[in-house]
Amino acid sequence: MPLLAALLLIQHPLQRTIAIDERLAEDAHIRIGDRVVVSGAPNATMGDTVIVSAIVKRGADPAEIARSEYRVRMHLDQLQSLAGYGDRVDRFAVATRGPAATEKALAEINASAFGFEAHRSRDIAVETSKTFQVVSRFHKAIGFITIVASAIFLLCIMLLKVEERRRDIAALRLMGISRYTVVLSVVAEAALLALVGSALGIALSYIASTFINWYYQGVYRTPLYFSLITPPILTLAVVLSLVLGIGAGLLASLRLARTPPISLFGR
Amino acid sequence: MTTIEDVHRSDVRRGTPSAAVVEARNLGRDYKFGEESIHALKGVTFDVGEKDYVAVVGPSGCGKSTLLNLLGVVDSPSQGTVRIRGHDVGSMRDREATSFRLHNIGFVFQRFYLMPTLSALENIELPMAEAGKKKGERVARGRELLAYVGLGHRERHRPSQLSGGEQQRVAIARALANNPAILLADEPTGELDAKTGGEVISLFERLNGDGTTIIVVTHDEVLARAAHRRIHMRDGSIVDE
Repeated sequence: MPLLAALLLIQHPLQRTIAIDERLAEDAHIRIGDRVVVSGAPNATMGDTVIVSAIVKRGADPAEIARSEYRVRMHLDQLQSLAGYGDRVDRFAVATRGPAATEKALAEINASAFGFEAHRSRDIAVETSKTFQVVSRFHKAIGFITIVASAIFLLCIMLLKVEERRRDIAALRLMGISRYTVVLSVVAEAALLALVGSALGIALSYIASTFINWYYQGVYRTPLYFSLITPPILTLAVVLSLVLGIGAGLLASLRLARTPPISLFGR
Repeated sequence: MTTIEDVHRSDVRRGTPSAAVVEARNLGRDYKFGEESIHALKGVTFDVGEKDYVAVVGPSGCGKSTLLNLLGVVDSPSQGTVRIRGHDVGSMRDREATSFRLHNIGFVFQRFYLMPTLSALENIELPMAEAGKKKGERVARGRELLAYVGLGHRERHRPSQLSGGEQQRVAIARALANNPAILLADEPTGELDAKTGGEVISLFERLNGDGTTIIVVTHDEVLARAAHRRIHMRDGSIVDE
């Protein structure tokens, strides 16, 4: 038997393989099939020579966005040997075949020894994304303040713009154009402007979003999308724009339409 | 050439037939500033007949514009009455007054007030659209009027593409759109140079010659001389006619 084992080693020399992430591959100019030496300490003179068998693309995980370290995946026994950990791991993942199996696995692992803690991946995801929930709430608050400020600004601009036309409106009223027609025309114009503004805003947001994603995906070397424009967001933007535009137009035009034409003329 | 007979269709104006188009009786208008009351118009009485061409002249602050406001049904007298084609217009509420102005009064302003985004033809269509006239009728009438004021070739031009004199002629055409009983003009040559002002004066003469009743408030001596009657005002009263 020892002889057979020795023969097998000669005929099939142990070719240990590793997988590296694309960031390391890019920075160190490593390609699949290259031989590299791995060791447990930096600048070590000795180590294991391994073959790079895979280059792994990073996932779009916001939790990893600020982590700049390289990642190497290797066989467990080799990692243990290099790290000097022996027969020991900190964490491991178990794939299950459904909720019942998950519950069983959780119970067994938690009961197997003191200090073992098993969690559902969903619970871990919720726990680790709390920071992002806070950030998300912060973004919503900024968005709300922006909308309120924009609404006030829009109303002021609209009042000023309609005020600039007071003499034109006075002339229309003197010609016999009714208040209703004056209000309707101003509101229709405001709605049209709101729609055109929405279209321009959407185009601009697509351009800005594309640039932001291109820039930050490059900076952080991640496929993560930093800016997303979704149909609900577009719908909200257009509806808000229309409501604010029509509201501002209505307020501004009602204000002028209620003023007697000779007062508008300043006579 | 289009004549005003083409332009002035059959008289569809409502109201009791009257020899005078405008009857002003003992007109007065007071303005209150705090405790003080200013008598802008005092005991003004006059008639304007069919096809009359009247110029109201006088120094600034003599009450010309106040009188024009009362004749134009944009203001109500403090005392006295104004009747236009038999209608007592002094007591009209806003909605009624607006409708009356639309159908019976044509306004020409010093600064034209054409809608900048509309073409010349569309500007003339505006009062007709408000009056509920159909598109075909509006366009035909608008073209007639543009031809009458000599701008038949400029119907698609916007106000910014027209000279001051052309803009005023479009404004006059717009004022005539709904066959008004009277044409009220407030300093219609005030923004124009002598030459283009002269063209507007000639147009007014032609309009009056073709049957339009015109009342014009002006400081322009040439325009005032062109009128058949001149009402001189001072301190809110008629001092000479």
